[in-house]
Amino acid sequence: MSVTVDVTRLWLDRFRGIAELDLELGHGLTVFVGANGQGKTTLLEAVSWVARCRSFRGVPDQVLVQAGHEQAVVRAEVRHDQRTMLFEAEIKSNGRNRVMLNKSAVSRRRDLQDLLRVSVFAPDDLELVKGGPAFRRVYLDELLGSLAARYDAAAMDYERILKHRNALLRSNSVDASYASTLEVFDEQLINAGSELVRGRLQLLGKLEGELREAYASLASTDTSVECTYESGWSTDALDGSEDIETLRSQLREALHRLRSKERERKLTLVGPHRDDLEIKLGGLGARHYASQGEQRTLALSLRLAGHRVITDLTGSTPVLLLDDVFSELDESRAAALVEWLPHGQTFLTTTGVLPASVTPELTLRIENGKVCQ
Amino acid sequence: MSVYTEPLQALIDELNRLPGIGPKSAQRIAFHLLKIPKEDAARLAESIVVAKDRVHWCRVCFNVCDSDTCQFCADDGRDGRVVCVVEEARDIVAIERSGAFKGRYHVLQGAISPIEGIGPEQLRVRELVKRLEDDAITELILATNPNVEGDATASYLARLIKPIGVRVTRLASGLPQGGDLEFADEVTLGHALEGRREL
Ligand SMILES: [Zn+2]
Repeated sequence: MSVTVDVTRLWLDRFRGIAELDLELGHGLTVFVGANGQGKTTLLEAVSWVARCRSFRGVPDQVLVQAGHEQAVVRAEVRHDQRTMLFEAEIKSNGRNRVMLNKSAVSRRRDLQDLLRVSVFAPDDLELVKGGPAFRRVYLDELLGSLAARYDAAAMDYERILKHRNALLRSNSVDASYASTLEVFDEQLINAGSELVRGRLQLLGKLEGELREAYASLASTDTSVECTYESGWSTDALDGSEDIETLRSQLREALHRLRSKERERKLTLVGPHRDDLEIKLGGLGARHYASQGEQRTLALSLRLAGHRVITDLTGSTPVLLLDDVFSELDESRAAALVEWLPHGQTFLTTTGVLPASVTPELTLRIENGKVCQ
Repeated sequence: MSVYTEPLQALIDELNRLPGIGPKSAQRIAFHLLKIPKEDAARLAESIVVAKDRVHWCRVCFNVCDSDTCQFCADDGRDGRVVCVVEEARDIVAIERSGAFKGRYHVLQGAISPIEGIGPEQLRVRELVKRLEDDAITELILATNPNVEGDATASYLARLIKPIGVRVTRLASGLPQGGDLEFADEVTLGHALEGRREL
């Protein structure tokens, strides 16, 4: 049985279009209803900001501060099992944000993530299936990062090592130290890269079953769903059974093989930054061969599968944020989704009428940045 | 075209060139300086000139000092066989505070960072190798920061120096990853020094 984590109260001040708001929230399903541009998604965005210290919409923080103001404030009261905690975020239009937990300053995002996790689905998530490999890599790495801080660190280190290595390859340096400096960054790339890949593969092992189950119940179909990890550097297909030494030596060999080509192109040509997660539906690549409807259901299934895996591995259910999810689904899929919803807290936005089978604990109408009672 | 008068814009530009100061901070500081009394501004300018004039790099270890050699290199009570390699002079302060180290130092004056165009040639690496040839040094403790650049610098030095036959160790992990030595507390640094591992 997993621990419940609920956001029980939310205060907003000058956050996007919401000037001021104080909202009591409960367990189970809460629905925010309203026309577009009224502030429904903003509420989900505020909850996710508190959990992740950034917007799920991929916008810079300044955008979140109401025009003409110095800061936006989000406060959330969170009940974690029996404990009540107060998360506070001051998001500055200019300068450093301030994040506090129970009135004391928090310097690292990691310190908060075990206390409040969110799973988000937004209409843009169609890109998880339809878009390029980068979307799927980010999907895997975000899940990994919220499972264990060391993967968050590995992904950040990897990105930085990659920038250094590319700068070296571009530099045309004639320094005597060039070759050994490049070797140092090769080893760093190999270490951080293999750590990241091992994490992705282990995660994938857990995700695949959940993805199948989620897709089967949403689409009520028995079409097969398969995931494979595609890499341009491994000699055999990677299935998660490889130990870290195997991954290291395969990555090292690939770098050696490509040494002269990399010098010529002045770019790191192999590694986890170029890998992909290939998803097949009924044996065909979903990115190019699935219908738009299948892609939407698959994207939602990926998010729900991630949600299940996090719940399973951390023992606590993330708060589930579903933005405009019904506009994507027909009546039967919408009903299947509601049936599938986990027992934790869910916030859902919708512009219109709810499918008949949806019976929220709380429905709030949002108009012009305010809650209409 | 600049919106400010020439002298003000020049001040903003100079401030903007300092590390960690972006255009907005540069503007804010410049306007602050315009508002303070003239003698305060003169004192600031004077202290920059005086510091630049009187503070030197220690000829042995490249720590900051006001004479030829720094206090640690001049102190006969310290163990000259063990040298702790740090990125910046300010890192010495953190290690001294831990009280766990009685050897001498070598300041690299930076870390390897290809993004910023900094390689071993831009650091005090050549001088370190020279010290190893001349002095009776038997162990180097690499206390570069526990982040990508600090680790790269430590690996580079280990590869370079181990063939010379000097024992090379790295501060034990337990320091916050991705952090600065400067911000590590005394207890953690003490433990890190005691538990250093062989490279
Ligand atoms: Zn000295």
